Amino acid sequence: MAGALTALRLGGLLARRIALLAALLALVFAVVEALPGDAADATADRGESAADVARRRVLLGLDQPVAVRFLRWMAGLPTGDLGVSARGERVWSLLAGPLPNTLLLGGLALAITVAVSLTLGSWAALRPGSVTDRVISASATAVLALPEFVIAVALVLVFALWAGLLPAATLAGPDGTPSSWTMLVLPVLALAIPQIGWNARIVRGALADEARAPHVRAAVLDGLRPSRVLTHHLLPGALPAIVTGAATSTGMLLGGAVAVETIFSYPGVGALLAGAVADRDTPVIAGVVALTGLVITCVLLVADLIRSWAAGGRP
Amino acid sequence: MKRLLPALSMLVLAVAGPLLAPLPLDQPVTIPYGPAGTDGALLGGDQLGRDVLSRLLYGGRDLVIASLVVASLVTMIAAVLGVAGALHPAFGRFVERVADVFMLLPAVLGILLITQSWPHGGQLALVVAAVALGMPYAVRFMTAAAAPVVATGYVEAAVAGGERTWHLIVREVLPNLRSTVLALFGLRFVAAVYVVSTAAFLQVGPQPPAADWALMIRENSAGIVLNPWAVLAPGIAIGLLAMSVNLAAGALTPKVRNT
Repeated sequence: MAGALTALRLGGLLARRIALLAALLALVFAVVEALPGDAADATADRGESAADVARRRVLLGLDQPVAVRFLRWMAGLPTGDLGVSARGERVWSLLAGPLPNTLLLGGLALAITVAVSLTLGSWAALRPGSVTDRVISASATAVLALPEFVIAVALVLVFALWAGLLPAATLAGPDGTPSSWTMLVLPVLALAIPQIGWNARIVRGALADEARAPHVRAAVLDGLRPSRVLTHHLLPGALPAIVTGAATSTGMLLGGAVAVETIFSYPGVGALLAGAVADRDTPVIAGVVALTGLVITCVLLVADLIRSWAAGGRP
Repeated sequence: MKRLLPALSMLVLAVAGPLLAPLPLDQPVTIPYGPAGTDGALLGGDQLGRDVLSRLLYGGRDLVIASLVVASLVTMIAAVLGVAGALHPAFGRFVERVADVFMLLPAVLGILLITQSWPHGGQLALVVAAVALGMPYAVRFMTAAAAPVVATGYVEAAVAGGERTWHLIVREVLPNLRSTVLALFGLRFVAAVYVVSTAAFLQVGPQPPAADWALMIRENSAGIVLNPWAVLAPGIAIGLLAMSVNLAAGALTPKVRNT
């Protein structure tokens, strides 16, 4: 009985996330559709004749009615069919190589964000009002609003050009992935630093809120070690807020990756997207938005499950 | 008030900067990537040998103005819609769902999608995109803040008295949320500086030969070894702007218990 209820609740979470993703995809299509200009005349600036543009419009299926194209786009998505770029290549095959690289970059940055912000946030929360707390809180506030590309440039100057410790650009190996792990360090840091600032504050705040709960006070009065109070009494209650913060950072990391990859010539979706901007290649941008939405949906679903587990584990 | 000063001085400096520029903006005055101090260019030359200092003094104005416009529009529209959401729970729930959908769309990607789908939109497309993307969170923020006010007796009395929604929002509820609106403006300004500068770095927004901090970083990266100042100076400028505006936003946000 309890198992069936759990399954029902998980099914509900899943259905809700899928519905939201479908709404995003419909929104993306509507935006591309409602605004003036389409993928066929995007590349027409380079002196193509009207007949060429018309031919490409037929090739891209842009002569079909809106409803037909919407259904075609939405029906193609579950099978990985993201349509055709303005140059006539399959969007999926364009993205298949760079996407894993970007996910590697974003995944590493998320892992570091969670680890470092948990450490710093707990450290600060265990000593409220101390110098450590104030230094951590002030630095977190200072970095959280910085655009990633500004941090990236600063890191390149300090670590690549002046100290000469790490490479400033990424060289792709024969398989299209970065040829050395050292090339990942600076891009990952540039992405993670603002998110660490953001999440350290969330961890610090959530733990401080939880510290006021009666069961935590009781644990402290019982004379438990601070580390045990943290892991057994503070963190479980603060978990939902912390998980929500980290899940929200995923979107920021993937958005910031576009600029950071451009700086480090990292072979990811961002570099591809920067090229698509120059070409005004709307189908490629829409495809990237759809896939990014899918990745964020998966992370949010994991966050849902952790929150649901945290809520279910306690009376 | 003390925490507002850095932001105010950065804003004044960015807007008044062009008046202080010592050299012409678009003429080469030294060799490309000329080092700092050559030919009277205090911070050296950029990729075409133009004066980095003069371009630095020009390069913040559009960023600051665009961010101010975006933040003001989002705040004003969200203030009205947010209170409407608190007055009409069905609308409030709709906004919640829209915000959930927008959570799947990173702002940078959303900006690229909108500006590229609207090829001749120019700066207007950028502003519209930034406003649209910031709106759901802002409305949600206002709805949450307005809910307790809407539940007070005098608003219920006004509703029972048959006042129109517009009157309720502007005359009854919003005057009690002045500090919330101010806090929202601070937060949206921080977000706008991030989004407008990142978009400019990705070449959406100001186009060459315009002087713009983010664009300067992009254009001069290739010569970072020859004249680091051409990249470092606009980088510091954006960093200081973002940090000071964030500090000011923190000062505007009502203080919650801290320990």
